[in-house]
Amino acid sequence: MPIITVHPAAVRVVAPPGRTIVESLRLAGWRSRYACRRGGCGTCKAPLLRGRVTYEQPLAESVLTAAERSAGLCLPCRAVPVDDIVIAQGEHSLRPILASSPCPPRPPFPEE
Amino acid sequence: MSVIRLGYVHIRVTDLARARAHYADTLGMDVVAEEANRVYLKSWDEDDHHSVVLEEGGVGLVKFGYKVTGADSLADLENRVAAFGATSVRMSKGDNVGIGDGLRVTLPSEHTLELYADVEYLGTKVGKLNPDPWPRDGIRGIGVPRINHALITAEDPAQLERFFELALGFRPAERLVGGDEPDDLVGSWMFCGENPHDIAFVKGPNGKLHHFAHQIDDWSALLRAGDVMSMDDVPIDFGPTRHGITRGGTIYFFDPSGNRNEVFSGGYRTGPDFRPITWTMDQAARGVNYTHREIDQEFLSVVT
Ligand code: FES
Repeated sequence: MPIITVHPAAVRVVAPPGRTIVESLRLAGWRSRYACRRGGCGTCKAPLLRGRVTYEQPLAESVLTAAERSAGLCLPCRAVPVDDIVIAQGEHSLRPILASSPCPPRPPFPEE
Repeated sequence: MSVIRLGYVHIRVTDLARARAHYADTLGMDVVAEEANRVYLKSWDEDDHHSVVLEEGGVGLVKFGYKVTGADSLADLENRVAAFGATSVRMSKGDNVGIGDGLRVTLPSEHTLELYADVEYLGTKVGKLNPDPWPRDGIRGIGVPRINHALITAEDPAQLERFFELALGFRPAERLVGGDEPDDLVGSWMFCGENPHDIAFVKGPNGKLHHFAHQIDDWSALLRAGDVMSMDDVPIDFGPTRHGITRGGTIYFFDPSGNRNEVFSGGYRTGPDFRPITWTMDQAARGVNYTHREIDQEFLSVVT
């Protein structure tokens, strides 16, 4: 699985298949800078220093312009790492959290 | 006063299917009309054709509509908008699905606001004869009963407040001021009926949407709404908590494209004799989140 490294904190987490940068960090106990987590507000925008990401859902051009993308910015709440990546965050932008991701679907009842 | 209330909000969404699922299954609105790239929805306790329009491509506000009392008031509003120096054009029945003739106004803040009197009547889900308090077979998810208000951003809130007051007959219920000058306006919460606000705006970029809100019954409905958001993995901005401004209960959350939504309960009653309340910037956090007295700086700057 790809490794996400966050500078300058040098935090390293794995990116489970199909998970965005923000989700992978949350699963590993880190809150990065974000607000909507749905690609709408641009709060999470960050320099992608190394590696490649893909976007599995459509992006709004007004949130991350083509020019910003070619200048090396990514949208971590939508960006899914393709290989090992390095992104930059502000000095104090990561804070430890305990976050729950959605529950998997429950088995039908009664369960034999 | 001839403007009655917020009628509809028309927004852009990056993915129409996901947005539709959010507004229909999580908020519990009903799809009333569809076009290739648009979905029209209505809440269960609303009479009129629709209150939310989703349009595929991008994020943010396309336009919003306020319902007025009749064709006479449209003519009167047209003159007042022109007297203010703002531009408007007539719109015709059929320009918007279900909406009749009206006036399309470009606000000083560059937002598009439509005024209309005539709209197709679909009726609430409980009807008008000996109705039940809520639809026995028809609540999905949160089950929002109706749309309530919108908050937009403007480079010049003082100018926009004058516009809403002079051209559209709104009054300020609460004002957030930056300094000692009452004109150093950071935000204004304005009403046209007896709500604490039907429109609000804070200082920020022109043409942007901060959020739009659905009204729900009370604090326990708010908590239940939060349960549904957790079940459906909806990102929460903050809440449940109480606003100092308007005194309403609130949860702010995001739709699947990152447009901010709110469920709002309570609030006091205003009216033509209501004297506006003032908030100063040092108490702004309490104004927004009375319970916690702390908000992220981003709360005011995150818009779509
Ligand atoms: S957090 Fe809003 S765009 Fe990423």
